[in-house]
Amino acid sequence: MTEPPRHRPTWPSVIALLATIAGAVGFVWAYAVDAHNAWLGGFLALGLLGLGFALAYWGRDLAGHEEAAGRYPIPYEDVEAQVALAAEAQRGAEVVTRRGFLTKLLIGGVAVFGLSQVVLIASLGPRPKPSFSEGDWAAGDRLVTFDGRPVTRDALATGGFLVAFPEGRTDSANSQVALLRLPADRFAPQPGRESWSPEGFVAYSRVCTHAGCAVAQYQDEAQVLLCPCHQSIFDVLNGARPIGGPAARALPQLPLAIDPAGDLIAMGNFSGPVGPQSWTVY
Amino acid sequence: MSERTIIKGLAKAFNVSQTKTRGAARWVGRNVGGSGVLREELRHIFPDHWSFFFGEIALYCFIILVATGVFMALFFHASAAQVVYEGSYAPLRGVTMSDAYRSVLDLSFNVRAGLLIRQVHHWAALVFAAALGLHLFRMFFTGAYRRPRIINWLVGLTLFVLVIVNGVFGYSLPDDLLSGIGLRVAYSITAAAPLIGPWMASVLFGGAFPSEALIPRIYPVHIFLVPAAIGGLLGLHLGVLWLQRHTQFPGPGRDEKTVVGTPLVPAYALRTVGFLLIVAGALAVLGGFFQINPVWVYGPYNTWDATTLVQPDWYTGWLEGAVRLFPPWDIVIDGFRLPALFWPAAALPALLLLPMLAWPYVDRLISGDDRYHNLLDRPREHPVRMAIGAGTLTFLFTLLFAGGSDVWAVLLGWQIEGLVLAFQIAVVVLPPIVAVLTYYACKATSRPLRSSLAGR
Repeated sequence: MTEPPRHRPTWPSVIALLATIAGAVGFVWAYAVDAHNAWLGGFLALGLLGLGFALAYWGRDLAGHEEAAGRYPIPYEDVEAQVALAAEAQRGAEVVTRRGFLTKLLIGGVAVFGLSQVVLIASLGPRPKPSFSEGDWAAGDRLVTFDGRPVTRDALATGGFLVAFPEGRTDSANSQVALLRLPADRFAPQPGRESWSPEGFVAYSRVCTHAGCAVAQYQDEAQVLLCPCHQSIFDVLNGARPIGGPAARALPQLPLAIDPAGDLIAMGNFSGPVGPQSWTVY
Repeated sequence: MSERTIIKGLAKAFNVSQTKTRGAARWVGRNVGGSGVLREELRHIFPDHWSFFFGEIALYCFIILVATGVFMALFFHASAAQVVYEGSYAPLRGVTMSDAYRSVLDLSFNVRAGLLIRQVHHWAALVFAAALGLHLFRMFFTGAYRRPRIINWLVGLTLFVLVIVNGVFGYSLPDDLLSGIGLRVAYSITAAAPLIGPWMASVLFGGAFPSEALIPRIYPVHIFLVPAAIGGLLGLHLGVLWLQRHTQFPGPGRDEKTVVGTPLVPAYALRTVGFLLIVAGALAVLGGFFQINPVWVYGPYNTWDATTLVQPDWYTGWLEGAVRLFPPWDIVIDGFRLPALFWPAAALPALLLLPMLAWPYVDRLISGDDRYHNLLDRPREHPVRMAIGAGTLTFLFTLLFAGGSDVWAVLLGWQIEGLVLAFQIAVVVLPPIVAVLTYYACKATSRPLRSSLAGR
């Protein structure tokens, strides 16, 4: 506190302020010629940093580094003021609470009125329905790619992979499927789904059962589908059951058939609800 | 004696010239009043320590976020309407996208200085959260949260939560592929809550995912509601700080009743305005030279699109890690399913926040110390507090690293399954080990060195 005043040179602030002016001129130049982002940012930074440094140096080194003492307000020293405040507040409260019945009615009225406004929440969104997690497939729907072209039996060789939707509903997020053509020697259909995979074509929901991302990666040597968000791994040879990562449910399967024209069609909707499931009452 | 004569005499006694400051003081006296209080406050004392800058950095990031945000709001279209892009970024010409995404491309490529402002905004959000984290742990480790600053501890934690939430909203607005994937996951997390989950999700997101209502809905929340709440709470935070004065480390002349530091006018004011500009300058360097969130690389969001190596902004990275590591333990009872996702994504943040909110009261209960504290502790003198803090930080950083498990798998050439298992073990084992080591390290170093200094 008693250190002698330091004599610091002023030139650092002078140079910094000159840099600020240079930065300002440079920024306008960069803006006028539509220069690259780095020029704009560089000159802006030069201007700001120059001004900031000049002021900070001034405050720290040129203003004499005066350290001073002050007092913390110590609340328990103001007991008198606290009591006076309490008395004032009590006087105010008594005017209201003197009328006991009216006070209770007031509290009840405010509560009931406040709660009544909660109904506005219903305007924000529809009542959730089980259909929020259902695919939009019906028996006979043709499988198409995202640009609307039907998927034929020639579209995929064994080991191939593509994304398919129901015809006319390529915007249906819940209906997207990963269409695979699995090798007959390795793939055995699940019990009860023997007829769902004609000529090795298998379709699983592409919405991850963990957090809803698109299960977008397919590894044909390991025969797994992978979700890039949280690395859930699904065994496509075994009903797309999860074998790694945080997902707990298998990807639902879509029953497939091939129509006389050679196009792939669905035989109905998915084997179960699509995407993440939760505990609720509709 | 006339009033004029009295004033002249006083001015002479105080050695004030009759000119500028006198004119300003007279104006304040006549139009506002409170000259006595104002005089006191010009001498408001700010104690000095490098760790006190974290809160200042956070405050200045907020100011810069508002300034850059106002600029961007003039160009952003909060609309999910589908359009075909015909702008100046050739690789996306002819692609169908939302009007929101197109407006962000236009802001980045066609509005002069638009990219700079956008990048400074994003960097400011990243630095904001980092500064808040450092500020929070500075408060924790030095015991600054104790009476009379419990209120600012609670307000500060609320601010931290609001800042993270608004960061997520901001990241969601451009409607690029990563925005959309993030919102899809956010929908699933909301819906994972037992019983009310799907109802909350439908109400908040406007129906099933994806919903056209979403971007127009997030926009006013991101640019007005949450910033207004942050601004209000920040005002409260700073007002209380001003009334109570800042804490200080022990030193010559300093005690619980006497604060020693730099007076507001002129030294502290010059320094802190300078510091605001330095923070702004540093963010301009980041925004000018370091690319952040290049949405044109990711492309527009479609529910069937995905990309590998997806990470959120760092301040939600620990949540991402928790979601990746938590085992697939769905609880199924009589057809009702409580998804495993609920625990890491919804229960964990609550379980972290509640003890943090309760911490000043827990400290008071354990130590039995209910006194006022204006002097800060040296962290190592409180080994239990240090151990808890170090263990918590280890837990959070392990989760943060686990949030990039796929990146590590590629970099290290490991299988993802093995890496996830290693992280699962680390997140359980490392925090207690670090906590115990920290405890004994504090004990050892804070013990007075009696033997070697005995003779002095």
